Amino acid sequence: NDHSAGSVKVPRNFRLLEELEEGQKGVGDGTVSWGLEDDEDMTLTRWRGMIIGPPRTIYENRMYSLRVECGPKYPETPPFVRFVTKINLNGVHNSNGVVDMRAVSSLAKWQNSYSIRVVLQELRRLMMCKENMKLPQPPEGQIYSN
Amino acid sequence: MAENSGTDPAVERSAEENAATSGTIIMVTVKTPKDKEEIAISEDASVSQFKEEISKRFKAKQDQLVLIFAGKILKDGDTLSQHGIKDGLTVHLVIKTAQKATGASSSAGSSTSGTSQVNSGTANTASPGPAVNLGTSQGSGPSPATSQPASLFTGFGDLSSLANLGMGSANFMELQQQMQRQLMSNPEMLSQIMENPLVQNMMSNPDLMRQMIMANPQMQQLMERNPEISHMLNNPELMRQTMELARNPAMMQEMMRNQDRALSNLESIPGGYNALRRMYTDIQEPMFSAAREQFGNNPFSALGVNADSPGAQPSRTENREPLPNPWGPPDTTSAATGTTTTSSTSSTTPSVSNPLGISSSSLGNGIFNSPGMQSLMQQISENPQLMQNMLSAPYMRSMMQSLAQNPEVASQVRSSPAAGTNPAQQQLMQQMLQMFAGGSASSQTPEVRFQQQLEQLSAMGFINREANLQALIATGGDINAAIERLLGSQPS
Repeated sequence: NDHSAGSVKVPRNFRLLEELEEGQKGVGDGTVSWGLEDDEDMTLTRWRGMIIGPPRTIYENRMYSLRVECGPKYPETPPFVRFVTKINLNGVHNSNGVVDMRAVSSLAKWQNSYSIRVVLQELRRLMMCKENMKLPQPPEGQIYSN
Repeated sequence: MAENSGTDPAVERSAEENAATSGTIIMVTVKTPKDKEEIAISEDASVSQFKEEISKRFKAKQDQLVLIFAGKILKDGDTLSQHGIKDGLTVHLVIKTAQKATGASSSAGSSTSGTSQVNSGTANTASPGPAVNLGTSQGSGPSPATSQPASLFTGFGDLSSLANLGMGSANFMELQQQMQRQLMSNPEMLSQIMENPLVQNMMSNPDLMRQMIMANPQMQQLMERNPEISHMLNNPELMRQTMELARNPAMMQEMMRNQDRALSNLESIPGGYNALRRMYTDIQEPMFSAAREQFGNNPFSALGVNADSPGAQPSRTENREPLPNPWGPPDTTSAATGTTTTSSTSSTTPSVSNPLGISSSSLGNGIFNSPGMQSLMQQISENPQLMQNMLSAPYMRSMMQSLAQNPEVASQVRSSPAAGTNPAQQQLMQQMLQMFAGGSASSQTPEVRFQQQLEQLSAMGFINREANLQALIATGGDINAAIERLLGSQPS
């Protein structure tokens, strides 16, 4: 088992319930939101995220919907993240919106202290990078077909 | 219904309001990136009811509100309970400012629509088209009722008219024309194309542009005939400037304004003022009407059209006048025929502000030395019929004359390389020079200038001095032409 220095291994469901509550309470600065895809999902696997496009970037005023899947080994292993709303962003596959976590420097080295909120916030910060903030975007509201 | 003042009483009031719908009131926090408000709402309420409250509290229109809870957007028809929104939970709010990124491009589209004609003069391939423009469209010019569909397009498009003279295939030409037509009729499309970063990238690469241009076989042929064009292509400064212009309609307008100013500087030349005035009234009006006819929307209308008032105050016209192309088709005497002939040559108009067509320092100079002019000369000399047509067209005469008023131009013409490349061209130049010689003293009245010719005419038996003078003026002092004119208009 991997132990990052000084961090406790947190049971998955416990952690996810915490994240659920945080999502409902709007913890954070209000620029990202997350919650269960289906409230009846007892496995707490499928989540929905929302990122509000940061101001002074080409993503401004847009809302990006994402799907986050927390596997059985979460949070030891990173979740599977993909954009539902079409976006042109480095690290996101153009064809299906899948986020390549290794391409996002802040998420490449996943820590078990990271959470869905962290993922969403880091992706939002990614939109503010020079290399991304002016990328031409598809028309608003388009979603990936799969 | 009570007004919500946004403080505690609001809670009670909205509680009362919602009493009809349900029992339990819950407190939901609504959070924006900047703000946070607690709103009391019935737990059974719909999202749109919730939005109503929010719109009051946040002073925003309901349709500007986007609510997000737990990573999902709340739709108006949903209920709060559907999403699991309970007391003490937080909902995220985004207030849309109704700005659209595409708004910029569509407004850019409309602002370029006026100048899109001009734009396309150098756009599309950003080739040094206007020069080609001049050459090719002039080439097919004199043939009346031309079917050139606003061939402002440079390079490929206009080269298609060259095809009329026997080069290239008809199909290719048609294709080009179609494309032109489409683009011309849809400035929005043009601006979209221009805005496409791919196009912009392409156009900002002078090497690539040059390659593209040179790859066109028609262009190559043209270049063989006119080495000036290849010089121009190889001048990176010029290319860059042209491409800048094509890319940036605002810059194009600015350049035109610069030309305006340069023109108004001509005022200071002795006799220049008169020349300018004459030029404007002689050229501007028919040009505008021709341009308008052909293109539908007059690209220069925004720049101050006095087209409908002949003899408009010169001071006004000079300031706002777009640069008239002296080689464009002015037609004072016969507006009717003028328009058909101008329709083909008026397409040269947009090229006017192109650095290739005219340099801001000397109007006439640039025109004569421009590659387009050269190619025009060449074509004309190769096709004697063309030359005849051109020379006999009345507009040509008056145009020459106006130019003749400007002594600078006359000297330029004499020394212009265009004069000497080809015996036929030389002949043409001679004739033009004659006319110029006839009108080079700008301060003299026509009577004085044509003194000699008038005497000759009366000796020949043309006793109507008035008519003689008119004819001489129109032909720029060319006796033979004047005679033809007189014979044509008089029954005896």
